[in-house]
Amino acid sequence: MINKKILLPLFIVVALIQLYVPAKMILNQEEVLETGRLFKFKTAPIDPNDPFRGKYITLSFDRTNVPVEVDSVWKYNEKAFAIIAEDSAGFAYPISISKEEPTEKQNYLKVTVSSTYNNQASINYPFTRFYMEEYKAPEAETTYRQAQRDTATTVYALVAIKSGEAVLKDVLIDDVPIREVVEKARKEN
Amino acid sequence: MGIQKDIRELVSANVISEETAKEISAYYQRKKSEPNNRLFIVFGILGAILVGLGIILIIAHNWDDLSKPTKTVFAFLPLVIGQILCLYAILKRQGETAWKEGAGAFLTFAIGASISLISQIYNIPGDLSSFMLTWMLLTAPLIYLLRSSIVSLLYIAGITYYVSETAYWSYPYSEPWPYWGMLLFMLPYYYQLFKKQTESNFTLFHHWLVPLSLTITLGSIAVKHEELLFVTYMSLFGLFYGIGHSLHFKDRSTRSNGYKIIGSLGTAGLLLVLSFNEVWKDLFRTSFAESVWLSPEFLATFLLIILTTYMIWYNYQKDKTIKPISFTFLVFALIFSIGQYDVIAALLINLLVFAMGILTVLEGAKKDNLGILNYGLLIITALVMCRFFDTNISFVLRGLLFVGVGVAFFLTNMWMLKKRRANDQ
Repeated sequence: MINKKILLPLFIVVALIQLYVPAKMILNQEEVLETGRLFKFKTAPIDPNDPFRGKYITLSFDRTNVPVEVDSVWKYNEKAFAIIAEDSAGFAYPISISKEEPTEKQNYLKVTVSSTYNNQASINYPFTRFYMEEYKAPEAETTYRQAQRDTATTVYALVAIKSGEAVLKDVLIDDVPIREVVEKARKEN
Repeated sequence: MGIQKDIRELVSANVISEETAKEISAYYQRKKSEPNNRLFIVFGILGAILVGLGIILIIAHNWDDLSKPTKTVFAFLPLVIGQILCLYAILKRQGETAWKEGAGAFLTFAIGASISLISQIYNIPGDLSSFMLTWMLLTAPLIYLLRSSIVSLLYIAGITYYVSETAYWSYPYSEPWPYWGMLLFMLPYYYQLFKKQTESNFTLFHHWLVPLSLTITLGSIAVKHEELLFVTYMSLFGLFYGIGHSLHFKDRSTRSNGYKIIGSLGTAGLLLVLSFNEVWKDLFRTSFAESVWLSPEFLATFLLIILTTYMIWYNYQKDKTIKPISFTFLVFALIFSIGQYDVIAALLINLLVFAMGILTVLEGAKKDNLGILNYGLLIITALVMCRFFDTNISFVLRGLLFVGVGVAFFLTNMWMLKKRRANDQ
């Protein structure tokens, strides 16, 4: 048996580490949210189910293609840094990808490359899940589909970006948060 | 109580002394108090696991109405409660199995719940494999701090799930090397269980879960030479078989000897797969590159062959007997190397399975054990069944094989029962 005198401090150290890891996760996210720059990414959500983390909507994005010089340099699911710019309508898009982390003061993101074709690489953004309340996630999907059919509406994800890290803040349909849209639709029915 | 009556009877008949009678009574008294305690442990753990899982599910609902700070508090709440329970178990309830196991199980789930709720609050997509890895790393020290077997069992299950997720279910797969370190980390605890609580149910579960975990994860070492894994796995099963027949395990019931069962079934199963001609034709379409000698597959195979050979030697040292079946893995390694050049390997494998079946039948007959005898016959039956699908063997021959095995079943069982009856008389 380990002596109680040693066991107690050891347990406290372990308990503190157990608290520190989730706390650190929170701090990292908060830092990006508070000091990062906000971008709008045009989206297209669908609804799967994660056995551990409840219901969320999976987002797929409108502009994921980026020009590359040589296709064969990139492998499937390889990690890359994508430099992000905004178009005239205020929506974000990737202008280039690189294997090394950009050193200049640019807005960039950690992404993965999904495919390359004809000097175009298709990338996956790291913010693909937006968590919703259990019963709302399927409704959100329906709401989204309706919004998608109507070409006049725009759906986008609001993302805070800082030094390659990204935190998904909200998903909006015509500038209204999707949660509110679902709430409103519920009340109307 | 029945036993008391019997004891009195035995005392009055002068079969046992008064003193022995007291000892026997005391023994049963002690034994009687155990089941209650055991029940308490089982319900303690079950309760903790159910509450833990329940919390994860409630959290998974993802309450929209709660503000971010409230959700954050809820993320830490189960974790802190679990830690307080464990602390209480360590300080005030030392030595009480139900307490430490229950608290340990609860804290294990609370850690998972906490990380997963934070992922929700901040929409962190983080893949399942890194989630499992973080969870298990934070859980690992609890095995030793609480000396909790249930934490250890959950930990083995967790790291095994992590390997499956990383190496088998996601693409591009990455090599889950941390698993081997993490498994090594819990081995001293397993060894202690094995030494100090030989008969405990927890030890028994470990005897199943550890070989099962290794069987699942060994495939994850494959990089380029997957074909070699047949030899690697066969050696692993050989090692299990050796452990299962070692001095510490061989007199255990089948139920509590996971090594023996997994080793034996694994060996037979793998051999049956390789008894098909087609498998061998596919296997060596491409020959091995020079680099094979330094591949993880080869090194693992090499290591396992040495370990298994050592195990056979160790068993021989201890009780001066060698089971011929123990050498299956070596014979297989030889056949495998022949297989690179000639499909005769498939035929040799058939002979090997057949020999394994016969040896098992003989062992059953020698030990007067119908179970072992019929297991041997089942191996042969499975082999015959496999050949049923080989179209290039004539119907007549296949028919004769079936009839032959059927008759063998009858005759051996009848002979054995007759022998038993003769012995009884």
